[in-house]
Amino acid sequence: MSEDLKKRIVDLFHEKSRGDKKKFYIRDVTKWLPDDDRHAVQDAVKVLLDEGVLVYWSSGSTTYIMLAEFFPKEETCS
Amino acid sequence: MAKSKTPLLDELEKGKWPSFVKDIKQAAQKSPMAEDLLQQLELSYKDKIGHWKHGGIVGVKGYGSGVIGRYSDRPDLFPNVQAFHTLRVNHPTGWFYKTDALRKLCDVWDKHGSGLTNMHGSTGDAILLGTKTEHLQPCFDDLSAAGFDLGGSGSALRTPSACVGPGRCEWACIDSLDVCYNLTMEFQDKIHRPMFPYKFKIKVSACPNDCVASIARSDFSIIGTWKGKILINPAEVTIYAGSDLDIQKEVCDLCPTKCMEWDGKTLKIHDGDCNRCMHCINLMPKALRPGKEKGATILVGGKAPIVQGALLSWVVVPFMKLEPPYAELKDLIERIQDWWDENGKSRERLGELIKRVGMRVFLKAVGLPAVPQMVKAPRSNPYVFFWPEEIQKEVK
Repeated sequence: MSEDLKKRIVDLFHEKSRGDKKKFYIRDVTKWLPDDDRHAVQDAVKVLLDEGVLVYWSSGSTTYIMLAEFFPKEETCS
Repeated sequence: MAKSKTPLLDELEKGKWPSFVKDIKQAAQKSPMAEDLLQQLELSYKDKIGHWKHGGIVGVKGYGSGVIGRYSDRPDLFPNVQAFHTLRVNHPTGWFYKTDALRKLCDVWDKHGSGLTNMHGSTGDAILLGTKTEHLQPCFDDLSAAGFDLGGSGSALRTPSACVGPGRCEWACIDSLDVCYNLTMEFQDKIHRPMFPYKFKIKVSACPNDCVASIARSDFSIIGTWKGKILINPAEVTIYAGSDLDIQKEVCDLCPTKCMEWDGKTLKIHDGDCNRCMHCINLMPKALRPGKEKGATILVGGKAPIVQGALLSWVVVPFMKLEPPYAELKDLIERIQDWWDENGKSRERLGELIKRVGMRVFLKAVGLPAVPQMVKAPRSNPYVFFWPEEIQKEVK
């Protein structure tokens, strides 16, 4: 797993989360990195989820990914 | 008599059918969560608005699906349902439980949740309704110890489901239970770690009766079928002829492709025209049986109407032999999911993507040949759009 790819993903999450929008589709993340292999990006996101840097947010039908620090306070993230 | 605290909900108990209100009232006698649920529901009927906020928390350690977060927007009034999360538990294939397994499941839920269940949700999972955030992980741990796992939710592969198949049905052309179990085990990561543009459902029916309605409800439908002639037992046909069954009127005339002939003594089937509707076999089960060479038809693109309208699945492989370890089937699923994952927009189902870009693009991408069985409306739409290079090839 490339540490560089993970760092770029986290940096992009911080950059894109500056506005009101904090939740992103995995599709958004792969689009941010068009020159990287989609599967490698997905694997790196999974590692970041395991490390607790990113968290899932789900409506039940659709899943989003966000920085753990922005997860709504009233809801404890796993 | 004391005035009821839920006069609006009481109305729902008056109809012919068993009411969920009665069940919740029964549960409320020992569960404060069920009591608050009842009162909040009464308020929703009074206010004509739902009082749930849903979404957020998604699972337990290592999982991104299987839990659907739900919160009351009136925790001041109903503190016991301030958090009322749903757990989706992967059901045993074909929904066969041993009694001890069912007891264990209920014990876990009595310990950690409201005691209310929905057995089963439309995807197939056992739905456990209502637990608090701090109980999610312990509940999952206890479920795991009892041999259960969470199912899929969100933008993931949803829990595959199958009809009872050979476990209880004489028409089974494939072992739907084994296929479903194999796919569930193979694609664990895709069920528990959402990485797709949207949901993806796989359903397995062991015969064309399609008892799990895979054709209408799944992105990838596996339906048992046969090759060759329907097996006819002439002696049993004669017995049916002597019964109340009007073979001409009720069997032959209702055949959708009119592939059957009955002269009062002999039943003939033009098998080449049969579209596996199962009508004749269902009406004359002792006389007719599916043919000997069995396998499955693979269809893609079915879905219920959410983002776009409802779609029925479309044949992409007319006949596939299905034998463990189902390598050909798994490989096809991987190729299709990968293409959809790469090309689908967020919240776009497989069927919608195929509709947007066209079936021939899909076929080329996943390496499937165009065959006559793929004609979407057979007998009414004979048109197939070939790639230009294929036409050139034919001309040569």
